[in-house]
Amino acid sequence: MAEAETSIPIPEELVREPVSEVGQMSQWQLMRLRFSRNRLAMTGVIGLAVMYVIVFLGPFLAPNDYMYQNTDYIFGQPNSITFIGPDGRFSLRPYTYEISTVLDEQSFKFVFVENREKKVPIRFFVRGDPYTLFGFIKSDVHLFDVDRPQRFYLLGADELGRDMFARILMGGQVSMTIGLVGVALGIILGSIMGTASGYWGGLTDDIMQRIIELIMSFPTVPLWAALAAALPPISATFTALHRYFLITVILSLVGWTGLARQLRAKVMAYRQSDFVQAALAAGASDARIIFVHMLPNAASHIIVVAALAIPSMILGETALSFLGLGILPPLVSWGALLKSAQQVAVVVQHPWLMIPGVAVVITVLFFSFLGDGLRDAVDPYSI
Amino acid sequence: MARYILRRSGYMLVTMIFVAVIGFLIIELPPGSYLEFEIARLRQLGGDMAPEQIRALEVRYGVHDPIYLKFWKWFSGFVRGDFGRSFEHRLPVSELLWQRLGFTVLISVLTMIFSWVVSIIVGVYSATHRYTIPDYAITVLQFIGLSVPNFLLALVLMVFAQQVLGMEVGGLFSGAYRNAPWSLAKFIDLLKHLWIPILVIGASGTAWLSRVMRGNLLDVLNMQYVQTARAKGLSERTVIWKHAVRNALHPLVMVLGMSLPGIISGETVVAIVLNMPTTGPLYFRALLQQDMYLAVTFLMFLAVLLLIGNLFADILLAWLDPRIRFE
Amino acid sequence: MAKQAGSSTTPEGLVVRVRDLHVYFFTDLGVSRALNGVSLDIPAGKVTGVVGESGCGKSVTALSIMRLVPHPGRITKGEILLYREREKQNGHSIVEEVNLTDLDPQGPVIRSIRGAELAMIFQEPMTSLNPSYTIGDQIMEAILLHQQCTRKEAEERAVDILARAGMPNPQTVVRRYPHELSGGMRQRAMIAMALSCTPSVLFADEPTTALDVTTEAQILDLMRELQAAMGMAIVFITHNLGVVAQMCDTVAVMYLGRVVEQAPVEPLFYDPQHPYTRALLRSIPHVGSRTKARLQPIRGVVPDPYATIEGCPFHPRCDYRKPGLCDVRVPATTQVGENHTVRCFLYTEQGEDNG
Repeated sequence: MAEAETSIPIPEELVREPVSEVGQMSQWQLMRLRFSRNRLAMTGVIGLAVMYVIVFLGPFLAPNDYMYQNTDYIFGQPNSITFIGPDGRFSLRPYTYEISTVLDEQSFKFVFVENREKKVPIRFFVRGDPYTLFGFIKSDVHLFDVDRPQRFYLLGADELGRDMFARILMGGQVSMTIGLVGVALGIILGSIMGTASGYWGGLTDDIMQRIIELIMSFPTVPLWAALAAALPPISATFTALHRYFLITVILSLVGWTGLARQLRAKVMAYRQSDFVQAALAAGASDARIIFVHMLPNAASHIIVVAALAIPSMILGETALSFLGLGILPPLVSWGALLKSAQQVAVVVQHPWLMIPGVAVVITVLFFSFLGDGLRDAVDPYSI
Repeated sequence: MARYILRRSGYMLVTMIFVAVIGFLIIELPPGSYLEFEIARLRQLGGDMAPEQIRALEVRYGVHDPIYLKFWKWFSGFVRGDFGRSFEHRLPVSELLWQRLGFTVLISVLTMIFSWVVSIIVGVYSATHRYTIPDYAITVLQFIGLSVPNFLLALVLMVFAQQVLGMEVGGLFSGAYRNAPWSLAKFIDLLKHLWIPILVIGASGTAWLSRVMRGNLLDVLNMQYVQTARAKGLSERTVIWKHAVRNALHPLVMVLGMSLPGIISGETVVAIVLNMPTTGPLYFRALLQQDMYLAVTFLMFLAVLLLIGNLFADILLAWLDPRIRFE
Repeated sequence: MAKQAGSSTTPEGLVVRVRDLHVYFFTDLGVSRALNGVSLDIPAGKVTGVVGESGCGKSVTALSIMRLVPHPGRITKGEILLYREREKQNGHSIVEEVNLTDLDPQGPVIRSIRGAELAMIFQEPMTSLNPSYTIGDQIMEAILLHQQCTRKEAEERAVDILARAGMPNPQTVVRRYPHELSGGMRQRAMIAMALSCTPSVLFADEPTTALDVTTEAQILDLMRELQAAMGMAIVFITHNLGVVAQMCDTVAVMYLGRVVEQAPVEPLFYDPQHPYTRALLRSIPHVGSRTKARLQPIRGVVPDPYATIEGCPFHPRCDYRKPGLCDVRVPATTQVGENHTVRCFLYTEQGEDNG
């Protein structure tokens, strides 16, 4: 048992503490790691990316213009697709059938019958209805279409014989952006109010809290509806696009309260924290403390709260438009499309009118996955 | 405790006055006024109107009054139960209000009870069975419940009830009972119709509440006093139900106030699809027709319902949590 | 599961013996090795101190013995033996050996042991009592669970034990809620609750860390006094060496999930063997040291538990490190004096694997 009192010089590489990779990561790196390992969250991100691409390429992807009315195909069902060519053999080119209109003897209604004998080829990259992509690319080439006089309805037609597929893609442009814009406005409003309320406290806080309580004491959809009802009717000076923006403002007017509350709590906690006390002691200005010390720390929480608020905004717009108080023609949204599907009888006869609802559900689901994943990544110990 | 209730009630009254201000602003917001509609209607009915007639009407409705006087006239009437007239139905609003509001309250309360009972059971189950297949299944259902717009769910359930179960759907009563006086048979008929609205309106709230309950319970299960209870040798069931759930309920009661707007909102929208004789269909129709007195009266009463619900939640919380009770 | 030792005294006077205990936490980010082969003897009726830096596994050791390791932690290896005394009809008491690691952590056997024979108090008196129930309810709950008595008797016992725990006005305190008491009073209530069923071991996980100095002294006095009066063993978990010197009969020093040295309190303070213990003692001031002498911090920090370290966990920070030995193998536990063991290659050639 040798007493080794004499110290042995230690090589530098051994003095460094042994740490695993995880231990060395920054807060943001850890969040990114946790997020990218969350399968649901990644599903949400990829799914949404795909949907945005599809929706904004809508006019190119859909064979018909979303406004084109075909009085010969009112409430027409979706056309079938077959890969068996006219010669009875498998072909790579898809075919659809010729449609003929027949008067049903019993109900005295026109029904659309596919003529199984007469196959119509579906062609790719063909010229059709003109459109403008992203607001500046003018074109008339569509991904697929059939030869005229026939028209192709992938997801059927609505009460005016308009292509549901084209309308769902166009509606997606509204429905998938209105939540984002609404939340962005809500973040700005909520951040200002919440930070001010939490930072200065006292009277500012009291007044802010009462305002929030007041807004929260109304049921959301009825309040949105009442505000939307006060918007002027669509005219040359007040276009559907103006209405779109004002609807987002209305949605965020109610939606900011939640964000403000959350941020207030955070800011109040930071106010007591040592790093803010230290900054105060060092004579930092209010603005510096808020923008340099508090908001960067709260940033991850703001992002999470915002992501979690998107689904309710999308659902809010859907409900408003469904009631006829949201998006109005010539713009369409998924909620506005679902307006045609208010009665059970209609839905039973023309189930394809419900497809916009499926789009809403998928979108909201993806956004929820995303929001949940973000929250778990930022604060793995919360709900 | 009594003082606490009194103070909360005081707050509520103050909030109500501000709610009334907002309600009045909403009446005044839309272009055109009640009077213009009235005049247009009278013109339609017959002949011209003399300028004196119009002026008399203007005085009666106080069109040129300053805004605070207008507010006072409307507000003092409102407090006395005079809510103005519905020009569309040509009836005082009060005659259209009460029965529909009654059904709204009934359905909202039942939905609330349903969603609470289900949420607590489901939340406790999934928090105590974390990382198991049933927990994942519940999570999937919760996500779907939160993602499906309630009117869409109503449509799907109605189609299901009609096509698969062969039920007569829509409304709260079968045709035979719709206008019949109240009887036991009518009451049973009502119960048969109630499950669809309760399920539909409660779906998203239940999905959310059970998620909150799960999170709360997981938080509480991390608390030291749960470990203390385990260290005493209590069975896991006693630890969870006696020590953890009781404390996990506090935040749930606090969000009760937040879940109410969802239920009332949901009720109004779903009522249109389900064709229910509640406030929703009349309210949205009134908004579309700019029948503002009717619309705002409904909105005000929905807000009052919410405030009463919040007061109730506050009292419940005080009863549940000794720290608030002794404040 | 339980075998009878057959003698009337516990083997070597122990009440709990922990052997080569491994507890791993299986988290999303990897496996955290909280305990890496803890061996610890807890003598009956004595105060055993467990010291070490934060994160070395002191609390996890106590929770493991209680079988209360939280998810996602699991005991992956090792055994925990409890020697419980059982009265026989003829007045002879026999000692029964129970291997706690074999038990279902939620099963009836461990639950009959928890609270009755193994009790625990925690660091935060503010959060260790349930805010929704009165102090009396919470103490009576344990009494009613483990002892045959009526509610009235249980309440009397609760008042009695509160009085013994130095609680003023115990009759009124039983009807109070935790938020109505100060931190020191709450810790007294916790001690009363833990002692209500006269356990044979009390685990005290930094019971005074959250209290102010005066209250701390009172609570420490109280614990010492009750220990002497009731004769139970206390496992005192702390990072405060001063408290250890004041309170404990024997001390176990932990580093990174292992006990590196265990000894009676005097040899440990006057003749520390392990380089880590020495470094630890050098890092605190003591009376009589030269006033100009500088305190020596231990170089480096405790490595994060996700990292795997080859060899002795302390070797990267150790002044006596033997290259090619300390960074390759883990030293075996070696006897260096009476009841004095140490894990270091300064005292043995034997590694854990071949020892």
